[in-house]
Amino acid sequence: MSRDHILTSQAGSLPRPEELIEANQGREANPTAASDERLKGLLQAAITGVVRRQREIGIDIPGDGEFGKAMGHKVNYRAWWSYSFNRLGGLDLAGPGINAIPPQRSRPGEIVLSSNADRRDRQKFLAVYTDPEGGIYTGPPLPQWPVCVGPIVYKGQEAIKADVASFKAALKAAGVEEGFMTSVGPGSAARLANAYYKTNEEFVFACADAMREEYKAIVDAGLILQLDDPSLAESWDVINPEPPIEDYQKFTMVRVEALNHAIRGLPQDRIRLHLCWGSWHGPHTTDIPMKDIVNVMLAAKCQGYSFEAGNVRHEHEWTVWEDVKLPDDKIILPGVVSHATNVVEHPDLVAQRILRFTKSVGRERVIASTDCGLGGRVHPMIAWAKLEALAQGAALASRTLWR
Amino acid sequence: MRMSHDHILTSQAGSLPRPDDLIEANRAREAGETTDEPHFQQQLRAAVTGVVRRQKECGIDIPGDGEFGKSMGSKVNYGAWWNYCFNRLGGLDLASGPGLYAQPPKRSRPGDLMLTSMADRRDRNRFPEIYGDPEGPASTGPRKAHWPICVGPVVYKGRDAIQTDIANFKAALAANGVQEGFMTSIAPASAVRIANRYYKSDEEFLFACAEAMREEYKAIVDAGLILQLDDPAIAENWDMINPEPSVDDYKKFSIVRVEALNHALRGLPEDRIRFHLCWGSWHGPHTTDIPMRDIVDVMLAVKCQGYSFEAGNVRHEHEWVVWEDVKLPDGKVILPGVVSHATNVVEHPELVAQRILRFTKSVGRERVIAATDCGLGGRVHPSIAWAKLDALAEGAALASRQLWG
Repeated sequence: MSRDHILTSQAGSLPRPEELIEANQGREANPTAASDERLKGLLQAAITGVVRRQREIGIDIPGDGEFGKAMGHKVNYRAWWSYSFNRLGGLDLAGPGINAIPPQRSRPGEIVLSSNADRRDRQKFLAVYTDPEGGIYTGPPLPQWPVCVGPIVYKGQEAIKADVASFKAALKAAGVEEGFMTSVGPGSAARLANAYYKTNEEFVFACADAMREEYKAIVDAGLILQLDDPSLAESWDVINPEPPIEDYQKFTMVRVEALNHAIRGLPQDRIRLHLCWGSWHGPHTTDIPMKDIVNVMLAAKCQGYSFEAGNVRHEHEWTVWEDVKLPDDKIILPGVVSHATNVVEHPDLVAQRILRFTKSVGRERVIASTDCGLGGRVHPMIAWAKLEALAQGAALASRTLWR
Repeated sequence: MRMSHDHILTSQAGSLPRPDDLIEANRAREAGETTDEPHFQQQLRAAVTGVVRRQKECGIDIPGDGEFGKSMGSKVNYGAWWNYCFNRLGGLDLASGPGLYAQPPKRSRPGDLMLTSMADRRDRNRFPEIYGDPEGPASTGPRKAHWPICVGPVVYKGRDAIQTDIANFKAALAANGVQEGFMTSIAPASAVRIANRYYKSDEEFLFACAEAMREEYKAIVDAGLILQLDDPAIAENWDMINPEPSVDDYKKFSIVRVEALNHALRGLPEDRIRFHLCWGSWHGPHTTDIPMRDIVDVMLAVKCQGYSFEAGNVRHEHEWVVWEDVKLPDGKVILPGVVSHATNVVEHPELVAQRILRFTKSVGRERVIAATDCGLGGRVHPSIAWAKLDALAEGAALASRQLWG
């Protein structure tokens, strides 16, 4: 918690070094190459470097940049999710591509996720989304997308062990006490075609049981576990037509219950949740308002809540915290710098944003963070400049709050 | 100039997305291809009528002509607001100078400031990989091979062009039943940022431009339109002086430019003129932008009624606090940008309202007109540009409800 200054962290993904991106291209194509010694060496060096750089900039609670989650292209918005395809058994990885999946229609009281191509913001702004020069390009798509064809089991034991070991070595080398590692939430992992489980709920809970192993491995290693679960917010846009809010809250509460099931017995104060509305550079006009899902988010049994608050669709939502009571022992990690613009936030703006939150929930309970991971979404130089602005702005806010 | 008497008025900073067929026609004309001129003029007129109608439908109280008379020959374009004057000023050689990015850098010294080249801008030097990549995120569209050089006395030769612009826009306003509209024109300081081989000093060149452009300013005001002077140079020259100068030197350098503008405006009614200041609309990091606090007095020295400036992007959004300390002279209005070209995400109307209320708290509700950071045309996709104007109008309506109950 922010005892004597506003702590800083970030939402996960950071820019990978170019040689790692190249090596990952091979790894994405052929996952068994992960044991390759050269890649291991590259990866450890890169993680050590990315932790050191966060520390130099003034990020108090660094991550591993999600470097263990393969990103094979400079522009990439999916590594946080697609890494799980290789860590879960029961998937056929050769299904139709993400934009070739057929749309599905929801009815009141009966919500189903539609396809990526059928997202409502996408349909509203089809000309922008489908224009390769339109500014929303999210990098080369995987030609095929997984389908669940059998019981979901966790098979990423080696991979998570390696991630944990690399990160712990990097933390130690940089002399950093506390670091966080991301892992995909069940609601987000289960957004795949399902040809095995009878119901979608069954599929979500199966993912919860499988992913629990990864969550446990991260917590047991003494790291902070960050559960990445954008699905809690952005599934709203994948439901077509727009559902009643109550239906969506009910639908989403099941995903939070699955998450809580997966983290049962794990210490709440070692876990934070990351919620977001999707990091692509689109208009985002169909994002669900924070006020409509904040209680669903707070039902997740963890201590910290990370969410977007630094882009122009969600920046105004600091007012939500004037009305919603944040339970006493909880903290928030609002995004005060964002991947959604190339312009680097002015440190004074960062400080203003932080102070809007501390006014409602108290200075101890705000950790200044980023909207989403910056890696793959903005140019590496801009990503780092934004982390610098974040640290400078937090220092300015701290001076106001503890003077 | 209208003030926000019973609701927060809305306007925008100038450029709006051109229809595809107009862009193609502009491209052909710019390339010197044979075109059917009467057909082109008809096309342009129809487009201006359409863009005024659409602004009205969005709820923009004080529309512009979208700068459609300023030729934009590519979908991505950041230069039309400026480049149009090259064809309206005599004394320029358009065909033999080096391209904009091929000009030599220049070094300033304390007390002796000069503009360096576009390629030598300081933010550009800090982020060379971003700016250097023609396909990169900060790309500003196709580049011209040659850039103008001043080789003789600068005179205004755009009489027909400005009269056409005015006639098209007035017809569009009348057709849509809109009372007040604004038309942009480039200010002297921004017009003279080209190589000069004729005048003895930069100041002489500056004042010659002021005299020449005065004709355009007068034509716009005489036609009963609001004149908007586009003068990003006052803010973004800062980034174009290398190494970073002292703020005092920069203010001295800039106040001369404001004096040239005031010279050009002499005798014209202040209440028909607004001024647009910005830090450059390219999608770069903008870490070397000069703070508003340091140049607000220079801006306010411009003899006009309205001041339009960027306040909706993350490098300048925090600067509403400047208006808690600076006294906006009585009778003046501000047009802060509350939606921006700097992100594809469409501003939430409630954010727009929050931003407006931060300004009205300092200067009063009557003196705030909600606007955009910069022109949206050429900087974001057309459908995003229009969605942002919708958000602007919705946000202004939300703010008005709070302010007038």
